[in-house]
Amino acid sequence: MANLKILAVDDSPTMRRIIINTLKRAGFEDVVEACDGKDALAKMKVDKINFVITDWNMPEMDGLTFVSTLRSNAEYKSLPILMVTTRSVKDDIVEALKAGVNNYIVKPFTPDTLKEKIEQILAG
Amino acid sequence: MSENMPLQAKIQAEVAALATSIADIVQKFKGLHHPLAESKEKVPVATQQLDKISEQTEAATHQMLDMVEQIQVREEKVIDGLTKMSEISELTEPNAASGLISELKELAQTNLNDAYTIMDALQFQDITAQQMNHAASLLEDIEVKLQSIMAIMAGKSVEEVKASYSKDRVFDPNADLFDKRTDQEAIDSLFSKNK
Repeated sequence: MANLKILAVDDSPTMRRIIINTLKRAGFEDVVEACDGKDALAKMKVDKINFVITDWNMPEMDGLTFVSTLRSNAEYKSLPILMVTTRSVKDDIVEALKAGVNNYIVKPFTPDTLKEKIEQILAG
Repeated sequence: MSENMPLQAKIQAEVAALATSIADIVQKFKGLHHPLAESKEKVPVATQQLDKISEQTEAATHQMLDMVEQIQVREEKVIDGLTKMSEISELTEPNAASGLISELKELAQTNLNDAYTIMDALQFQDITAQQMNHAASLLEDIEVKLQSIMAIMAGKSVEEVKASYSKDRVFDPNADLFDKRTDQEAIDSLFSKNK
């Protein structure tokens, strides 16, 4: 956990604050934030990110396009990605799975679920 | 109209009737213009009000987040302090104050847990903001339709009306605080099948 740098991508400043606070409580201290996919890609050029938590509905570049963009780049083929979104329709979840997310949480989430999914993904 | 009427007279009568009908329709359209214009004025006000609710709820949520984060920091310090006091008390006067210290620590921990619960509950703001964006988007659709009807009535271009509405609203139309279409267990099962 000490070396893990997490990128939290969400267009809602409220959600970013809640996610970052929850991550810090769970022991993940090193967190970078971005407001959409485009901003996230820019941040990833600067910081070495080991884990991505992303929303779906965002301006400029949505979460699904962001995930597809990452997966089309060899460098990010195996980067762990967790999607945290309000979209709970099964077809959407399947679409996110196909795009390459490692796991999926529907908002509102509980801190336990967030921690559990991160740990599951890291455990492989 | 009489069958013996000359053709030209029949045509003239038909044209006169048609002209009267057209004049009636024009009058009806003119009558429609006022309520349409009134609706066109009211719809954007409703949209603006929804945007204002979103903005002000977000500002209030951030104030609450500020307070909750400050409570967290203070309660963590209280728990740390009480833990140290407990250690000192054990060394100097075993059991004298340990009961009280344990009780205070428990209360501080309860406050901290409540602060976490408040913070988690503030996720409502993101979800209601999406619901309001959805409602605002529906109102904007109605506004565009009203503007288009009025543009047609005034002989203007509808495309110009549509082009002037370019606010990009991002929302999930199904965002809901309580009703999740797919529960976490089903999501987990979907992901474990596709590993």
